[in-house]
Amino acid sequence: MDGITGAELIKGLAFLAAGISMGFGAVGPGIGEGFVGGKACESIGKRPDEANLITKTMIIGQAISETTGIYALVVALILIFVV
Amino acid sequence: MEFVKICAVLGSGFAMGLGAIGSAVGEGMIAMKAVQSLGRQPSASSKIVRIMVISQAVTETAAVFALVISLLLMFKSGDFSYIKGFTFLAAGIAVGFGSIGAGLGAGLPGSSAMEGIGKQPENSDVLTIQMIIGQAVTQTSTIFALTVALILIMLDPEPSNLKVFAILGAGFAMGFGAIGPGIGDGLVAKHANKAVARNPKHMGLLTRTMIIGQAITETTDIYAMVVSLILIFVV
Repeated sequence: MDGITGAELIKGLAFLAAGISMGFGAVGPGIGEGFVGGKACESIGKRPDEANLITKTMIIGQAISETTGIYALVVALILIFVV
Repeated sequence: MEFVKICAVLGSGFAMGLGAIGSAVGEGMIAMKAVQSLGRQPSASSKIVRIMVISQAVTETAAVFALVISLLLMFKSGDFSYIKGFTFLAAGIAVGFGSIGAGLGAGLPGSSAMEGIGKQPENSDVLTIQMIIGQAVTQTSTIFALTVALILIMLDPEPSNLKVFAILGAGFAMGFGAIGPGIGDGLVAKHANKAVARNPKHMGLLTRTMIIGQAITETTDIYAMVVSLILIFVV
């Protein structure tokens, strides 16, 4: 590995940051969506006749939990392609 | 080259050391609930022990993947350029961290299934099927991590300073990215198992809801895999 220039170092660290951003960014939404899905299954077990309403609410709740994961994806893609 | 061997051995240690955490804790949770259920229903002991062993075997998968990558890395030898050292290290990081979530996640449905069998031993057949479906979906995140790790081991990139960072970034993205969805999938399957144990006649509806919930949970894992593949192949 020969000498690394300043511009290369910036780009290289941006790639590393993209990996770290997406990696840690996926932890929270994954666990959070799991809570939503889990409690939805529990509620359907108690009130199976309300399954449609519960599934709809579960998908909305999970979509909102997902947003931070999408932020992480967007930041990672910006770090890879724009910076 | 000495440097490549050092990185490969380090990656091997990361893969197995970190990869063992999740499965070990997950299997412990299953055995804990099994022992609790035996205390409640000693007459159903043969069923409880059999299903405990099945669910622990499925939970073990994540650690087995980590072991495979660890052994592959340990016995790598040959004349490689320095960049291969970074791909080996990144493969170890990807599969090591990537196995934590799936191991913990597979333990959660297993433990709730054991609890359910302790309360209603007559529903054990339905519950076993539901548990295995839930645990199988939970393993997706570690399968993605294994795929990326194998790609990284096979890969022979053009050596450049930029590629070093991109490869390490790919390992971190896939490794950390698999933790959350693995645990989340497990949480969904855990509560689905609880509901099936209480109300086995609604199993079809519950399995459907569980799979929808797990599929949505899995999306962040897919983002992580896409980012790591972009870092490996596009950059």
